[in-house]
Amino acid sequence: MKIKLVLAIFLLGSTVFAQEKDSVPAFKKRVLETTEVDFLLSYYKQDGIHSAVSGGSGTENLTDIASSIVVAMPLSDDEVLTVDAGLSAYSSASSSNINPFDSPNQNPWQASSGASKQDALVNVAISYSKSSADRNTIWNVHLSGSNEYDYSSLGFGGGLTKEFNDKNTEVGISASAYLDSWRPIYPKELEDFAKNGNSLNGGIFDNYTITGNQNYNPASFKFHDNKGRNSFALSLSFSQVINKKLQASLFLDVLQQQGLLSTPYQRVYFKDVSNSYIDQFQLADDIERLPDSRFKLPIGGRLNYYINEKFVLRTYYRFYSDNWGIQAHTISIEVPFKINQRFTFFPMYRFYTQTASKYFAPSETHLSTEVYYTSDYDLSAFNANQYGFGLNYTDIFTDAHIWRLGLKNIDFRYNHYDRSDGLSADIISLGFKFIFQ
Amino acid sequence: MKKLTLIIIVSIVLYSCNSVKAYEKEKINDPDMKLAARTSERFETTFQVYREAAAGANGGKTGGGCGCN
Repeated sequence: MKIKLVLAIFLLGSTVFAQEKDSVPAFKKRVLETTEVDFLLSYYKQDGIHSAVSGGSGTENLTDIASSIVVAMPLSDDEVLTVDAGLSAYSSASSSNINPFDSPNQNPWQASSGASKQDALVNVAISYSKSSADRNTIWNVHLSGSNEYDYSSLGFGGGLTKEFNDKNTEVGISASAYLDSWRPIYPKELEDFAKNGNSLNGGIFDNYTITGNQNYNPASFKFHDNKGRNSFALSLSFSQVINKKLQASLFLDVLQQQGLLSTPYQRVYFKDVSNSYIDQFQLADDIERLPDSRFKLPIGGRLNYYINEKFVLRTYYRFYSDNWGIQAHTISIEVPFKINQRFTFFPMYRFYTQTASKYFAPSETHLSTEVYYTSDYDLSAFNANQYGFGLNYTDIFTDAHIWRLGLKNIDFRYNHYDRSDGLSADIISLGFKFIFQ
Repeated sequence: MKKLTLIIIVSIVLYSCNSVKAYEKEKINDPDMKLAARTSERFETTFQVYREAAAGANGGKTGGGCGCN
């Protein structure tokens, strides 16, 4: 063992002597020459058969349109302020069935017309970074906030990056915290049952007839007292230029989450409880219950290789593990092909696989005696294949202008996503980069 | 044995690292060689965070800030 340790130290130590010291003071270039503006748009559509809102069985039809504007402004030679604002609006047949009793027909495979059918998410983030005079040290801080109908978030954090070895090596450390809060929405039948003193007198029960088990009694349901949800993360990064054509990076995150980690409107149906229905909609036995803490450990890496003037190879791998029993692998590959000086075409492929959480089981499988349970298929075992392509247009001379904004890049991406449990999705993204002139 | 193999491989990779000067980095500085996700990838990452259990280790957001997994 001692011989092995000495050998390892010798090999590592020899790399120190292989590196040359900086002998010439670096020219101080402005960190950001001028203000840059990114406009980003996306259209996302999915469908599936395992809606968590209806206990693991039901339509997962959802459409989302999102947009963001990112403005990076140089405050001085060394400082950059970035403002990132986004708006995302979705329409979902699945979440409409939080209250399916707004519609004349109650069916987990059809959208209800209720208010929960759609929502909008607004998010803003501000970050500040400062570089040292030699550009080898960069520190940054950030503040963010987001809000949607039933969820608010306040985030903050900071980081430090050091470059050395002729800027061939970069190490970074950062920490962030998100202090979030739910404004819980519950399945309508459970809410009315609990608000009426755990009885069927009042609310929807006055307007509809229960079929199946007419002694509907979800007495185990309780409103959440603690609605906070906090996340704390520590991130480490390491990047290395290996030679003139090859560079790699490693990322390690450590994340601890605490608070209300389950989703308040996702139903669960117990195997040992007889089923009750209103029309074709099965009434919930309870909502998903998950532990109030979760520890996550993802570790990933990138390896990019410049094949020749026409082709680059971009690869990424991540291993993920958490204490809810989930382990996952992600691998992606992208091969940008330079058609000419302005256009680059890049096909891409991503494979993802995960094991199931120990708290997951399909609909009508959990027992009412269990402490934690979910039928959310996002926590089930599955594989996912994602494939698509992108097209990039670059004009370094920014011939095209809108007012004083010169168009530098246009990025178009299309991807199709297939999950082995039946969910599929398509996403189109468009990005425009302008520089202020 | 596995740990020793990993240490040797990493050491050989680091040993083979050449100190590439700034004027030799025209290939490394190609925009497609950047060791980060593209800006236009952010919305894909967002839906992956919602639909998959894993998140993080990509140089960006690690978790929190949404009612997702």
